Amino acid sequence: MKFIKWLTISAIVVLIAGVAVSQQKNQKRKGRAVLSVPKVAKKDLICFALYTVHDNILKLTAQLYPLAAGDSRIVRLEIRKEGEWVEVARVKAIEPGWTAPFRVENWNDSKAHDYRVVHAAGSTYSGTIRKNPVDKGEVVVAAFTGNSIHPAHGGDISRKDIIENVKRIDADVLFFAGDQVYDHFKHYAGWLKFGRDFGEIIKDRPTLCLPDDHDAGQPNLWGESGKVSTLGGASDGGYSRPGAYVQEVERAQTSHFPDPVDPHKIGQGIGVWFTNLNWGNVDFAILEDRKFKTGPAGRVPKQGPRPDHIRNPEYDPASVDVDGAIMLGERQLKFLDRWSQDWTKAEMKVALSATIFCGGAHIHGGANGRLHADMDSNGWPQSGRSRALSALRKGFAFHCAGDQHLATIFHHGLENHRDAIWSFCVPSIANLYLRWWEPLEPGANREPGAPDYTGDHLDGFANKVTNYAAANPEKKPAGNLLNTRSAGFGVVRLNTEKREITMECWPRNVDLTDPAAKQYSGWPRTISQFDNYNPPSWGKLGTISFDVENPVVQLIDDVSGEILYTVRAKGKTFNPGAPKGRSFTVKAGRNQPSSVILKKAEVGAGARSIRLK
Amino acid sequence: MKPSKADSLLVLLLRVGAFLCLAGWTWVHFYWEGPYGVLLWQEASHALAERLGIDWDRFVGTGADDGLVQQWIGWTGWLYLAVTILTVTAREKSDLQMVGLMGGAVLLGILAYARFVGAQRQIPMLVEHGGQVLAPVLLILVLRLGARHRLTIAAAMVAMIMTFIGHGCYALNLWPMPAKFLAMTTEILGVEHEAAITLLWWAGILDFLVCFGIFLKVSRRSCALYAAIWGFLTAIARPVAGMSLSLNYWGADLFIHEAVLRAPHYVIPLYLFLVWRRPDEIETLGEDSETGTGPDGPQTVGPSKMSGLPID
Repeated sequence: MKFIKWLTISAIVVLIAGVAVSQQKNQKRKGRAVLSVPKVAKKDLICFALYTVHDNILKLTAQLYPLAAGDSRIVRLEIRKEGEWVEVARVKAIEPGWTAPFRVENWNDSKAHDYRVVHAAGSTYSGTIRKNPVDKGEVVVAAFTGNSIHPAHGGDISRKDIIENVKRIDADVLFFAGDQVYDHFKHYAGWLKFGRDFGEIIKDRPTLCLPDDHDAGQPNLWGESGKVSTLGGASDGGYSRPGAYVQEVERAQTSHFPDPVDPHKIGQGIGVWFTNLNWGNVDFAILEDRKFKTGPAGRVPKQGPRPDHIRNPEYDPASVDVDGAIMLGERQLKFLDRWSQDWTKAEMKVALSATIFCGGAHIHGGANGRLHADMDSNGWPQSGRSRALSALRKGFAFHCAGDQHLATIFHHGLENHRDAIWSFCVPSIANLYLRWWEPLEPGANREPGAPDYTGDHLDGFANKVTNYAAANPEKKPAGNLLNTRSAGFGVVRLNTEKREITMECWPRNVDLTDPAAKQYSGWPRTISQFDNYNPPSWGKLGTISFDVENPVVQLIDDVSGEILYTVRAKGKTFNPGAPKGRSFTVKAGRNQPSSVILKKAEVGAGARSIRLK
Repeated sequence: MKPSKADSLLVLLLRVGAFLCLAGWTWVHFYWEGPYGVLLWQEASHALAERLGIDWDRFVGTGADDGLVQQWIGWTGWLYLAVTILTVTAREKSDLQMVGLMGGAVLLGILAYARFVGAQRQIPMLVEHGGQVLAPVLLILVLRLGARHRLTIAAAMVAMIMTFIGHGCYALNLWPMPAKFLAMTTEILGVEHEAAITLLWWAGILDFLVCFGIFLKVSRRSCALYAAIWGFLTAIARPVAGMSLSLNYWGADLFIHEAVLRAPHYVIPLYLFLVWRRPDEIETLGEDSETGTGPDGPQTVGPSKMSGLPID
């Protein structure tokens, strides 16, 4: 009896020990990365720094390694003036996350400034606050998403190629669309690694990082204004991780953004950061397309194997567009309404968000994972998508996003195909999860020679979309190579002189200045800024000649009183597009559409001259 | 020899535990989806298809059509249903039914492995499924060997220990605590997250203590009772935290099965609590027999010799 008893106890001990030992082995297993916060010398306490400059306000956040108990918490920001370092701000580091967020008003953005962040323990970190590139003529945005560090996806391969390429094109803005950190429990360690990997390019140019689902510590995110999520997969809406964790994530990634335009907090004390950044005469709307969005579980009729997945192609798309389901929410829509009308110091407008406003993939996870629709995408809720796109097209905004793990170009439609904005979803830095754009039917109205998957389609929610490119990965598991999984990054060239937008989609480990280097099939593509609201059914009001360059023009529907759009014209002449059979009041001004210049204007009216001076 | 009323209750208990566990997973397979996707799209399955000489598209499907893998997964739901029925119908004499129940344990083992891989190969995820995987095995043992046989009791102890050590590892944050642990605690108890962490830490300590406590005669019943209560509370925490009047079907289809399939987490400790009753308690119940049925026919299982292994 005693033997059996001790045998059992021994077995339990072996079981427990086995758990511990196997876990140790598991950490070294190929395929997973082990994240930790390294110990650094006192001189290296500052890991990296991110900044933006907007409306003559510099906001810079220094990211520190953990300070020891005896270390000062004070961190200083200095700029070099006439060869001398001059302190411009000092803050106390915020301990959960060790961030030091600086805010400096009356910033002169007409010239570049060398800066350094200083800690009393002997640590300094230097970089350059760029001059606002208002006279450059082209603002170059390098755009990224999905920063897996796991070897299983090639995530352990050096980012040196990206660093070198960003330097080669001398990007003016860096945009990280989300999933900078995939570890759901150790954001701080992951964020420090992100800084070690990308700090070299981040320190010298405005950088925008949008925390997405994985950054917040969950696989998908329907934030529902800060609710607590308890369902696996989080499709019941809300945040899986505690509010304090999410606050720390957002402090690290967004506290250097321009001040939020509507800073009221949501549930669990989580802040908001949607705002705009005006840089190089490009007005970027920085949107939170996850934070307010409704979770689908229990709200929509079940249509597939997961509450957020629709497998049944015969389902009624209208059945999931349920009352009360929110996408951007009223606060952001009001902001977009104001933003689309305000063209102060802006010649082009760009919206940045985590993901695109449609169901941009058909096959998920593996080549066998066909879904009819995925409610994690911004194709759902359809009414919310319509409101978002309606607001964005009123400002002719181009949209850049990530999240999908699949690079695509879409021209979105609301009432008809191609009557709203264009979007560019950029590829993942290292692709954790594969997706394919592979409609079962060839698209209509394809360009000559274009693949079948391009052209006019309905996505799984019956949203109208027109595809122009998709960087689909290999259809079979093809090793851990980055590019078989369609990894890469995007470059968006915003030509403020020509008012053109060029989308480039580069694979990893190429030199994009090498003439032999090839982009993913379907790229590059150049569109006009005015293509972002140019429905095929529209006509022209007639050419208006102004006595000033680039006036702001606004059309208001005479019947509904609603603004059709507001845009800064290019040059001294502008021929406004408009729907046929309706009349409009046209307003114009140098920076604001402050003067009524035409009444009851209709398509087909003749040319006329307007004085604004 | 017919088992005693007390033993019949124990058999019924383990039967109910296995039934609920398999019924819950059957619901998942038919209504939602088995968690096997993580096993499919990888080099190993590609290599397997090549070894078997099966075209990859035929193996995993083209996307437009189901492949062999999808068909296999579809059949898995029916297998779960069959084993669920077996938990009700299984009788001691039927070897075929016993084999079927063992197949159920294998199915649950595969499922546990898929969950383990899906959880980035965290060992506690595999360990905590031990209670569920062993539920059909326990039913076999209790039918074949008797409710008080040492092997039956030992297997139940292993099942309980695996469940609670798995939970404990997460609750003590030895492996990253699943976000829903904290979320459910804050949502149900209305406490701040720091308080929830403290509560769960103590729960984790108790998880480990009961695993050791069931080896001591003085503490085993109280440990088993605590485990039954805690196992029940953690199982129903899912629907309690998640269901809402504002959801379709109140969210029942999202959350109820989460409590049902975890039945072994409280049923097995409850079985141990009952099997370790004091002799006077059993007599109080007015048992008409102190005999049980073992593999070699009737055997004496008087209160002082009921199970051999854990009694003294």
